[in-house]
Amino acid sequence: MPKIKKARVGIKIDMTPMVDVAFLLLTFFMLTTQFRPQEDVSVIIPSSHSVIKLPETDVMTVTVTGDGTIHLGLDSQQLRAAVFGPEYRLKLSTQVADKETLAKLMIEARIRNPKLRTVVKADKAAPYGAIEDVMNTLQKTNITRFNLVTDIEKS
Amino acid sequence: MAAVESGESRSHARAGKKHKKKRRLGIRIDMTPMVDIAFLLLTFFMLTTVFSKPQTMEINLPPDESKVDVAESNLLTVRIVPDGTVYCSMGNDVPEAIVPGAELKDPEKKTRALAKFRQLMQERNRSNPKLITLIKVHREGTYTMLVDIIDELNLANISRFSIAPMLPEDQKLMEKAGYTGPPVLAVGP
Repeated sequence: MPKIKKARVGIKIDMTPMVDVAFLLLTFFMLTTQFRPQEDVSVIIPSSHSVIKLPETDVMTVTVTGDGTIHLGLDSQQLRAAVFGPEYRLKLSTQVADKETLAKLMIEARIRNPKLRTVVKADKAAPYGAIEDVMNTLQKTNITRFNLVTDIEKS
Repeated sequence: MAAVESGESRSHARAGKKHKKKRRLGIRIDMTPMVDIAFLLLTFFMLTTVFSKPQTMEINLPPDESKVDVAESNLLTVRIVPDGTVYCSMGNDVPEAIVPGAELKDPEKKTRALAKFRQLMQERNRSNPKLITLIKVHREGTYTMLVDIIDELNLANISRFSIAPMLPEDQKLMEKAGYTGPPVLAVGP
């Protein structure tokens, strides 16, 4: 069978601009990424229409899980080591057994860093009793302004 | 494709000068592996970056010691019980169930029920600008209920609200409105 072969034109595309853009993006993403250490406790946070952003530094997080256990976390490594003990350099938070311990740890953390902002991060299904205990403790330790972490609501 | 060339195009231009020029070799570097790695890293960073930061809701509670006296006519109490029913009452009046229990738990009806609640709150606040809302959630309720209610108050621009624990007295009041859920236990200080 006669086959007609088209003569192919050798195509040369200059890839330089694409590579430039790729490197630009790579640099951007490398610089903006911040790796978060694996969180010890995972919670599904409820959604709201609030648009206040979570502060990035100087945060003290009180996490309440779905079964009502309370964890206290601090974002700075040095502070964590000083308040919870040296083994907490790499762990983000510590489980708190009762209200008294929570109050004691929170006061100590706030003495060491008065700029700390308190944030309550609780699971959707967390029993309100645990939240109430946390809020009572906050009130007793004179933290009258705190934030509740919520997801953005899609509606 | 992606290659760097360093040629010897200008080496012969000034041949008549005194000093001798070294002859450069034409170097071709194949950039393909480097570009491959670059794209690989780019994809990795693009997929791992999280741009959305969590949102927060700000709450102010009065300090523990201070007691603020509020006239009964200026106090609106919102009580939420474990089955999701929202009771609303002025002062020490008998509460009124304004959101039926099943609606808060049903995701489809929830939005409408909460919108109705918001409207009611707005009306009450318009008729009495000095109104203070007190939120009481049963200890066996869930955290979402509190967040939903505060969210609606925020949307309705009501900033004068506070959170208080539910007491056994509240149960007595709610029973008059037909509350038959788990009892409210007194919490020690």
